Amino acid sequence: MAPYQLPSPLSSARGQSLLGCPLCGFTHAAVPLAQGQRATCVRCGTLLCARGRLGPHAPAAFALAGLLLAWPALSLPFITVAKFGNFRPTWLHTGAEGLWNGGMPVLGTWVLTCGILAPLLLLGLLAALLAGDTRGAPDLHRQLLRLARSLAHWAMPEVHLLAVLVAMIKLGALVDVFIGAGFWCYAAMSLMLVLAWRSFGFEPSVSTTDGRRDPAP
Amino acid sequence: MSPSADPDPRQFGRPLAFALAAAVMMVPANVLPVLRTRVMGEARTDTIFSGIVALWDDGLWGIAAIVFVASILIPVLKLLGIAWLLREARVHARLRARRDTRLYAILDFIGRWSMLDVFLVAFLAGAVQFGALASVEPRAGIVAFAAVVVLTVLATDSFQPHWLWPDAHPPASPGRPATAPSRS
Repeated sequence: MAPYQLPSPLSSARGQSLLGCPLCGFTHAAVPLAQGQRATCVRCGTLLCARGRLGPHAPAAFALAGLLLAWPALSLPFITVAKFGNFRPTWLHTGAEGLWNGGMPVLGTWVLTCGILAPLLLLGLLAALLAGDTRGAPDLHRQLLRLARSLAHWAMPEVHLLAVLVAMIKLGALVDVFIGAGFWCYAAMSLMLVLAWRSFGFEPSVSTTDGRRDPAP
Repeated sequence: MSPSADPDPRQFGRPLAFALAAAVMMVPANVLPVLRTRVMGEARTDTIFSGIVALWDDGLWGIAAIVFVASILIPVLKLLGIAWLLREARVHARLRARRDTRLYAILDFIGRWSMLDVFLVAFLAGAVQFGALASVEPRAGIVAFAAVVVLTVLATDSFQPHWLWPDAHPPASPGRPATAPSRS
């Protein structure tokens, strides 16, 4: 089944598919969307579902490209700083390592999680959801979607990138700064994650029981 | 509980607890130093605010503004916003529910950007290690600030925005059609 195709695998007792608004919980009948269309909640105006213009395989392509970029992002030099001829190359994980060495291992682990682990896991989950057909097992599909939404709260590569850019400008007066290939790969990976996430055709939770929303993306 | 039923006031406890804890942690986050910089034997420690002032004094106004918004404005706005939403959910302000839901979506989106300062300190602490020439060390304030970020995200996450819509509509059994699909 194509990733965007509605109705969702869960159906009401009368055979009609329902979409629950992730914010206000209002239940709607599912309607098929054409490319470039989006459906919004009649009650609160929240975007319920969107179908991208780039075709059904675009999110999978973005997710896989992000995963491919992760390896060079992790292994190539990120930023090199220099002071009086002393060069110090840094890697993506250097920030977490700095906190760890500064006596803050929990915070270091947290930075590693939000900046590297959660984005990678999210890309992997999206690729698994899109490339592997999990809709044959609705429970597994729903659990993976819920996990992806939870992870999306803590995957912050774009915030990490902005922080590094701010740091580079701040460091400009103190040391010489050279951008490495790892930085560009991480930036591209972050972009792929954002594109994959935005173009991913989430089916909002079907609220037939308790009305609790899944964590919002 | 169906989405149409009035929320149990006891449910508000979790977001309220997270928000209060975040408010408490904002004190050490803003009072304690977050960073110690040593250049050619000369050392200085910075709190979040003094770091912003230093950026401003160095002429980096744009960067100072970004750090100010991410590190001070957003956490404060999030706490005020959550307090407002909890109040609205308690008084069943149905007329403002649509606007409040939008406010919730905004709070949910902006929360992550507060992590900027944590990533910033982490990167500086990892990158600037030149022994006696120049070094940067993290200080306790950044742990408190990270706690503020996590607690405000958890507060937003534990708030259920459907609390803002008490018995506006019964749960539609056949389902109302979503608004006519529109071109994005």
